[in-house]
Amino acid sequence: MSGNGHDGSGVVKRLGPMQTVELPMRRFNDQDLVDYCIVGVGSAGGVLLQRLARAGFKVVGLEAGPFWDTERDWVSDEAGAHKLYWNDLRITGGADALALGANNSGHGVGGGSVHWAAFVPRFHPSDFEVYTRDGVGCDWPIRYEELKPYYALIEKEMPASGPAHFPWGDPHSYPYGPHPVGANGSILAAGCAKLGIRVCLGGPVAIMAGSRTDRPHCIYRGFCIQGCKVGAKQSTLISHVPDALGHGAEVRDHSMAARINLGRDGRVSGVTYFDHAGREREQRARAVIVSGYAIETPRLLLNSACPRYPHGLANGSDTLGRYLMAQAGNVILGRFDELQRQYKAPPAHALTEEFYETDPKRDFARGFAVQTVGPLPIAMAKQFAQAKGAWGWGMRQVMMDSNHWGALALLGEILPWPDNRVELAHEKDQFGLPVAKVTFSLHDNDKKMIEFGKNKVMEIMAAAGATEVVQEHRYAHLVGAARMGNDPATSVVDRYGRSHEIANLFVCDGSILPTQGSANPGLTIQALAARTADYLIREGEAVFRPGKYSMEPPPFRKDLSPPATWGHGIR
Amino acid sequence: MKAAAHKTIGYYPGYRTINQIGYWDEATRKVVLERLGQSTVLRFFTAAEAPLAQAVVDRVLPQEDRPPEQRIPVLAGIDERLYSGRIDGFRYEDMPPDGDAYRQGLAGIDEIAHALFGREFVRLTHLQQDSVLLTLHDAKPPAAAPTWHHLPADRFWRLLIDDVVGIYYAHPYAWDEIGYGGPAYPRGYMRLDHGEPEPWEVEERRYEFEAPADSLSGAFTPLGKLRRGAKS
Repeated sequence: MSGNGHDGSGVVKRLGPMQTVELPMRRFNDQDLVDYCIVGVGSAGGVLLQRLARAGFKVVGLEAGPFWDTERDWVSDEAGAHKLYWNDLRITGGADALALGANNSGHGVGGGSVHWAAFVPRFHPSDFEVYTRDGVGCDWPIRYEELKPYYALIEKEMPASGPAHFPWGDPHSYPYGPHPVGANGSILAAGCAKLGIRVCLGGPVAIMAGSRTDRPHCIYRGFCIQGCKVGAKQSTLISHVPDALGHGAEVRDHSMAARINLGRDGRVSGVTYFDHAGREREQRARAVIVSGYAIETPRLLLNSACPRYPHGLANGSDTLGRYLMAQAGNVILGRFDELQRQYKAPPAHALTEEFYETDPKRDFARGFAVQTVGPLPIAMAKQFAQAKGAWGWGMRQVMMDSNHWGALALLGEILPWPDNRVELAHEKDQFGLPVAKVTFSLHDNDKKMIEFGKNKVMEIMAAAGATEVVQEHRYAHLVGAARMGNDPATSVVDRYGRSHEIANLFVCDGSILPTQGSANPGLTIQALAARTADYLIREGEAVFRPGKYSMEPPPFRKDLSPPATWGHGIR
Repeated sequence: MKAAAHKTIGYYPGYRTINQIGYWDEATRKVVLERLGQSTVLRFFTAAEAPLAQAVVDRVLPQEDRPPEQRIPVLAGIDERLYSGRIDGFRYEDMPPDGDAYRQGLAGIDEIAHALFGREFVRLTHLQQDSVLLTLHDAKPPAAAPTWHHLPADRFWRLLIDDVVGIYYAHPYAWDEIGYGGPAYPRGYMRLDHGEPEPWEVEERRYEFEAPADSLSGAFTPLGKLRRGAKS
């Protein structure tokens, strides 16, 4: 008996109103030795699973959360979206402790891509050589040019909507045209026009501006971060997982990885996990890819400590868990005499990257972007509580006035620091596994960037005609904590995500980012996953055998995309 | 839902999101209707704690202007979360678990009430209650309230206000009050420009909304924040 027949064999899962997948999918047994066990079926895991399955590998994705039926499980309701987030306990501290959960990690197939706002700007070429250019942070082990074809490919697979000419970084175009603009995009455009700042409207976002095959276009209801029931916004659940299942991959949901096991040869041999019934099981695998994002990935590797690696797997350099980064995400609220009703339209739909690069006239390195957000009532009330000190009758009053308010956000580059990190706490979760402890503090350059950046966004808001402008200090996204690099003494994995210490253990998700720029990380995570997949596919059986391996860049594969990728959109 | 008897608070007279329920998807309908019919039985807070907890919540999010049957059961929502152990995915290292934080925080609020006015919180006037809570808002509870020597006032205030607004503004009555469009699948929104109402929404009609004289919460003052070291 496999015991893996959970998740309703013989049922149909609806992924948006038009797309379905029929279960059962292929099921591996505990006795089966699969080629790849991927831990976490999110932004990176979904793409890896799809690529590796298409290439013919036996691949299982373990996902701690459920395999969603979006029509049944998701709601068009702010509070009802709680279950999309990683809500298990984590401890957070440091001088500038991060709020976790809803803001920055997903739970369930699709992971964070289920509740991201789906802004998909590329990183700039400068992001890959921050240390060389500015003497801060570090360089990536790859250059922009190595990721560029994967950016273009994933933009096509998602697909992304945006302008015909995106002017910042490496200028490029998008496969679908831009979206109509809501109140906040209109505010950003007006403010930037007044100040002579270039602005980009209607994208770039991984949201359908036109329908394609079984993916309808956006209906502008503004619930992107509550999960897109429409199926217009990309998540790997709807863009890549169906194709993965169609090619023989297994997604094992409600499966919480506990530790990665080592064989006597010092190579990883499988993953011990708790299944949907809470039973401890092991999936044997010839290679393991950890795709749990910036907290769960280091947590799993730390929880996998064993006599041979007492400080956790891939942690010989004491780099694992360090260099965790969040981006500054201050929300700036502005009050207008005219009604705004800013909750309509996707939260993400306009931005400027005019301040992205280091400017010698400023007193800090690197920069920031300015983007639209679109808080729904609960988020907006919480923001007023912080930004205006609102409570009681004042809260009632300002919320009654909330349709007159617009919202913009800073997205600022916080640099990687060794003391910003993920460790294990004393507390344990429901499986008895030590939970993550996250420590985060701003450093001088970060503080100067935030001060300048938030003032700039407030200036834009005022220039757009706001009569009152307030702001809330907060953060967005989480990356780093298992960074990639050429030097095993200062990084956890190499340029392809292979751990420096164990050749058949890989990490592929946001945690491998050495720096983060001022771009939302989702596109870069998916592009890195497609590139890592090309590498693994080129390496073939060599991944599973001890011995030498190639560091040559893999051939770029355009033939592994989901079927709807080609023949649609702008040529 | 007797629409005729319903009094709309706010600038959108007669506007009721729930009237749109026929245009919502089934899963969303179910969630919102459950919210409308939520039990007000408390299972986390004890009978001894409940009056104090209710009095605090009534000042953090006052609803005296609503007819009693149209008040949103905020305390019951907090109670349900704490009873079921549902958290938002994290705990600050200098905070106890949420349930303990509430128990300690309520006791600490009574300590402030005693320090400032010599009696327990529930026996104070609204104005006095507001001045007790304002010390937490400002992160400056009196030194004579020992709970706050170890429970960080700013974190507790944020926990409390985030919970309170998270329940209040999840409710369709609050959506009516603020003129929010509400659930929108599969219908969507069609008017993105210039704050225009959808065909089923209503035009704004403003009036002066003033906080009652016996309150302090109508004024907007910056939140207090405790200083924390760079290293934990």
